[in-house]
This record gives sequence, structure tokens and C-alpha cells, in this order.
Amino acid sequence: MSWNKTARNVFIIFLLIIQAIFVFAIFNESAESPVIAALIIILCILVLITYLKGEIHHEDHAYEHVFVALWIPAGALTSFYLNHLLKLGPVLSAATVGTLASYLPHIKKSSHYLRQLPAAIYCGAFIGMSSTGVAPDFLFIITASFFTAVLLILSKNLFAGVGGKLGTLAFAGVVITSFLYFLIASYA
Amino acid sequence: MHNLLLLITISFLSATITFYVNEELKQGPVRSSALLSLIVGSYFYFFPDTMDPYLVKSIPVVFIGASFVGMVSARLLSSYLLIGIGGILFCIIYLHTSNFFNGYGGALGTSAAISLLAVLSIPIIGKNRKLTNGMIQLRRVLFKPGKKS
Repeated sequence: MSWNKTARNVFIIFLLIIQAIFVFAIFNESAESPVIAALIIILCILVLITYLKGEIHHEDHAYEHVFVALWIPAGALTSFYLNHLLKLGPVLSAATVGTLASYLPHIKKSSHYLRQLPAAIYCGAFIGMSSTGVAPDFLFIITASFFTAVLLILSKNLFAGVGGKLGTLAFAGVVITSFLYFLIASYA
Repeated sequence: MHNLLLLITISFLSATITFYVNEELKQGPVRSSALLSLIVGSYFYFFPDTMDPYLVKSIPVVFIGASFVGMVSARLLSSYLLIGIGGILFCIIYLHTSNFFNGYGGALGTSAAISLLAVLSIPIIGKNRKLTNGMIQLRRVLFKPGKKS
């Protein structure tokens, strides 16, 4: 098996695990509501069908350029600043960062590089939506941005055009960083 | 119940309008989601007393989350109804999101991705059913009722 194929499969399984953890947490807390529990089970089956049969990935594997992924921390830090220091709240902060980022390609319309930035910056903005209970400082945001950037680089042609992909990558970055902080707090 | 219906309607509209602005007005997925959410978020930020506090807090969050569903590429899904259903599914997941992941950035996007992946299975199931019907027709041709072997 080639390196590309391994990276592709590992990434898909990783994202499936992240989504499974998220759904399992809902399932775990909906013990008193059988309707919601049944809905979650149906949802899981439907998602699995798409994972197995859906054409949601491009055939060829490609990597996002590092200089594109570098904009994730910029989006995250700006969104976090607007959210917590200027008290705009998570929605307004992410939406402001995303809207401004979407106009970057207008600086030079022929630039292929600038066209790729809005998605990376908007992805970072989702990290900045975290509450201070989860992300207490800028160091957490930078660490989560690093993990999200690695995932974005690996997933250029995977889940292409699937809405929520950027948010899932941001969520994965935040979960990994939280886990890391938990480990450091437990053993340091 | 009234609040739930309102949030479900908003999530349906958010997903479909985002898709419309993205695909028909050619604004791209990021601007479609972010700009529409900025308009809705700004309204409730500057006029927080216009509605019930629960709705003032929930509507912008539900709107931006459902707008992620509308960021889907037309290559994968082009039915406004299915995109709207994806938005409704997002709303249901959001309303039952685990307290454990409260405040985690990207949780809305994860809910949106799960909703959309579930909806994307509907055309696949539909396609398989057509094949099954085809197999039934073939079986009828091959084994006509009353045909004795």
C-alpha cells in the first residue's frame, strides 16, 4: 500500500472516530429519550452508508500547501480575540472573520493562492469560537490550529465539497489539544 | 414547542438560502455562510430585546450551523429539499448535543457534517432501490407467473 493511500485511509478512519465520539456522547446522554436514541442509531447507519458507498472523495490524493494551512492560526486568533476580548460572541466573531476572508481573492483575482485562503481562515475561525472553559488562552488556540492545519494539509481531496468539513477539522484540533492539556494536567 | 418549530424553520431556511447564494449567486461557500450569518448575528447582537432570550441566543447559532450544511457542493447534492432536511437534522443534533462538548469550537461544523453525510445517503439508497426494482422486473420476465418448468 502506498504512503498516499495509507494517509488517506488513516485520515478517513480518524474523522469517522471523531464523529462517532461526538454521536456517542449524544447517545449516552439521551438515555431517557428513546426517540432521540433511535434517531441517532438511524443517523449512524445513514452516515455509514455514505462513508462506504458515497463519492465524497476525489480519486487522486493531494496535500494542501503548508502556506495555505498557515492561515488557520490567523483566523483562529482573530476570531478568539473578537469573541472573548471584544465580547462579540462566537457567531459574530466567526462570521466577521469568514466574511472578511472571503474578499481576500479580490485583492488579485488571478492569484490561485489567494483563492484558497478563505476556507483555511474560516476553518481557523471555528477554533476561535471555543469558550474560555475549553480554550483558556492563546497558546491553546495556537496548538489547536497546528493540529487542524496538519489535518487540513492531509485532507485536500477528501470530503471535498462536504459542508461541515472545516468545522469537523477544527473540532478535531480542539479535541486533540484538550486531550493533550488533560494529559499534561494529569501527569505534570 | 413553538420555539422548536421556529428553530427548525430557521435551520431549513438557513441551509437552503446559503446553498442558493453559493450556487446560484456564485458567491462561494465561505461568503455565503459567513455573510448571511453576519447579518443574522448582527441583528440579534444589536437588537437583543426583540425576542425571547432563549431565541436570541439560539437563532444565530442554529443559523450559522445550518449554513454549513448549505455550503455543500452541487456536485454532491443539488436538491433544495434534501439540503433543507439536512438543516433540520442539524437543528435536532444541535438541540441534543452532549454537554461534554459544550464550548468546543467546531462542534457546530461536526453536527452539520454528520447531518449532511446522513442526507447524502438518501440518493444512494434511492439508486439501490431502483436496481432492486430492476432485479424484480428481470425476475418477472425470467420467471413468469404460471410458467411451468
